[in-house]
This record gives sequence, C-alpha cells and structure tokens, in this order.
Amino acid sequence: MSAATFDRRARLALATALTIFLPIEDASAHGFAGSRFFPATIVIDDPFVADELSLPTFSTQKTGTDPSVVQTDVSGELSKRITSDFGFSIGTAWTHLDQAGPPHNPNGFQNLEVTPRYQFLLNAPHEAVASVGVITEVGGTGAKRLGAAPFATYTPTLYFGKGAGDLPESLNWARPFAVTGIFGYAITSSKKVMSSVVDHDTGTISLAVDHFSNAINYGFAIEYSNFYLRANVHDFGLPEWVNRLTPLVEFSFVTPVTDRYGEKTIGTINPGFIWSGQSMQFGVEAIIPATKASGKNVGIIAQLHFYLDDIFPNSIGRPLIRD
Amino acid sequence: MARFWLALLIAVLPSLCFAHAFLNQAFPPVGGTVPTSPREIRLTFSEGVEPRFSGIEIAASDGRAVAIGPAACDPADNKQLVVALPPLAPGRYRVSWHVVSVDTHRTEGEYTFAVGP
Repeated sequence: MSAATFDRRARLALATALTIFLPIEDASAHGFAGSRFFPATIVIDDPFVADELSLPTFSTQKTGTDPSVVQTDVSGELSKRITSDFGFSIGTAWTHLDQAGPPHNPNGFQNLEVTPRYQFLLNAPHEAVASVGVITEVGGTGAKRLGAAPFATYTPTLYFGKGAGDLPESLNWARPFAVTGIFGYAITSSKKVMSSVVDHDTGTISLAVDHFSNAINYGFAIEYSNFYLRANVHDFGLPEWVNRLTPLVEFSFVTPVTDRYGEKTIGTINPGFIWSGQSMQFGVEAIIPATKASGKNVGIIAQLHFYLDDIFPNSIGRPLIRD
Repeated sequence: MARFWLALLIAVLPSLCFAHAFLNQAFPPVGGTVPTSPREIRLTFSEGVEPRFSGIEIAASDGRAVAIGPAACDPADNKQLVVALPPLAPGRYRVSWHVVSVDTHRTEGEYTFAVGP
C-alpha cells in the first residue's frame, strides 16, 4: 500500500469515525446563540446551561467605615449539564473580614449554593436565550461567625439574554450590543433568628433577634462584543487581544419586599471587561455602590472562568445524558 | 494548593487548540468593499474545521442566492474554509457560514461585503 493510499484511507476512516462516534455539539454550549457569543458575566449569572467552572472569583471591598471592615471573598462555582438543556451548579465562597471585632478578623465559608437550571429558549436568528432555575442557599453550611444564615433561602429565578444582531444594517454600530439579566424572588425559610449575645464588659447575656424578609433579586448586564463586531459587522483590523475583549457594565440589586425592620435596597454597578480565550476567560470589574445602604467605597472583583465543554469535550464537558 | 493549580494548568493547556471555531479573518473582508468581483470566499477560523459539516452561502442584496459549489478546507490549512465564486455584479452581498470544529463544536455567523467602487 502506498503512503498516499494509506493517507487517503486513514482520512476516510477518521471522517467516518467522526460521523459515527462524535455527535455535533449544540451551538448553545457555553454562551452561543446563533452568531452571538455571550461571555459568562461575573456578578450576575448568564442565561446558559453549560459545563463551566468559575475558579477563583476574587473580590474585595471596604464595606464599613466606623468601625472599619474590609471584606475579601474567594469563591468558586461548578456548573454541570445533565441533559443539553438541564443542569446543576454548586458553589460557595470563603470570606475574610478585616475588622477590629468582635469577632476579630473572622474568616470561613459562606453557605453552599445549589442551583438546578432549565434552559427553555434558544432562538439563533434573534440571538435570544432564556432559562429558569431555583437558587438554593443551603442553610447552616456556612460559618456562623460570618453571619451565614442557619436557614435555607430559595430563589426561583428567570435568566435571559438577547443580542442586538437582528437590528437593521443602518444601525450596524449597535449590533454588537447584547443584554443579559436575571429576575428572582428570594424566599427565606425562616423570618427571624434569635441568638444570645454576651456583653464581654459586664458579663450580661441578652437576646438578639435578626429579621429576614423575602426579597427581589434583579440585575442586568449591558455588553459590547468586539468578537461580534469583527466577525459580523466590520473588521477594523484591531489586534487579536482587542477583538477578544467584551467591555460591559453589570447592575445587581436586592430589594426587600418589606421595610418593616428597616431593610433597604442594596446594589452595585460593575463596569469592567472580559477577555475571552478559546477555552477560558478572564474578567475584572469595579464594584461601585449604587444605593446609600450599599456603602460608599469602591471595590474590585476578578474572575477566571473555564469552558469545560471545550477543555473536556468528550468527558466531563458534555451532558451526562445525550439527547 | 500549588499542586492543584499546576494540575489544572496541565489539564487546560493541551486543550487550547480544541474549541469552538471563531471567525478570525475573512476575504472579502467583513463589512468591507472590494473593487472587483472576488474569485473566492476564504474564511479563516481560530480552530481547524470539518468541511463535511461546514458550509458557506452567499446571497445578493435582494435575497437571491448566488449558486456556488460546496466549501472545502485549504489543503495546507484546515482552519481555512474556501469556496469559489462566479463573477459577481457590483452590489452588496451577504455571506452566511456554519462550521463544525474538529472537536465537533458548531458555530455560525454572517456578514456583508460590497463589490464595486
């Protein structure tokens, strides 16, 4: 057999094997809706059910002035598809509070979060995607000294995303824009928690009651995709690293449904950028308080995020059950 | 902890060449104008593509499809998908493409270009 014949037969065998054994991945994997690639946003969850790993997400912000408190979080989240449209994510955060106390400089894990999620819409021509999930904070799994709630909170949440690629060509400049968002209703399984507090100066013990109300969690991200600009609108010949940038602003808010105990809306505005590689992305954003109750100091959040469907396409990066 | 990060890096590095195929470069250029009818459409992707599951279509500004043959990979570079064009009259054209990368991920896109001054 000549080398050329062998090469042809090998290529034919490879093509046949590809046809038979490797099903083509759905375009919805890790953020694709038609021509649109949505990077995974940092502060609010993106609308895709995907195999991905956010590790680490690092944030630090001065959250109090008198007394001074600097909160630093290092968190991680793993998302895994069960089917192509249904999956779970699990995550937690390690927190350090730099404070005089008491307690003095506590640290530990926050409560575990588990989220089953179903993606019910993927419209490629209109670059639209939507999913629903229930964010479940598992009470009692975090450190009490950090204030981790001893009870569960369930947040049914709608996630959505829409690219502007279907705008007319006369609005070409706007077609790289996209928006993603979330809207959830957080239901606490307990409305108040009583605890005993010891006054270390006098030795007296008193009863403290913390109240927790249900809340509306909402947020959105406005992003401008240089990927989309280069591949679908106009190639300006920008450097490759610029083409892979997505400048964005995220907005995230929590509004209590009652203000019976003085609860206020808290929220942040997060301008920044995400650089997307072939199998991972890196993002960094500022944390700017958006309401008076959210503090006065600007913080920073950064994240490394891995696309497991690209890194492990034939093992943990694919759904457990194929459609 | 350092061992964990090293293991993660080792796991990730080999995969850098297996991922979704993004359109890196196009001729005729995305959103651009060419002075005369181009002989071919040549799309360069970030990953190798599988021509059996990939394709290119082109339509004039009135929506009429331009008859072209099947797209094929450049024999010297499987990141380039190429299709020959018949002579095109001056005007605007829309190119639609879909590709499956060599690790079976599918991507798609479209863009316009113009022929003529």
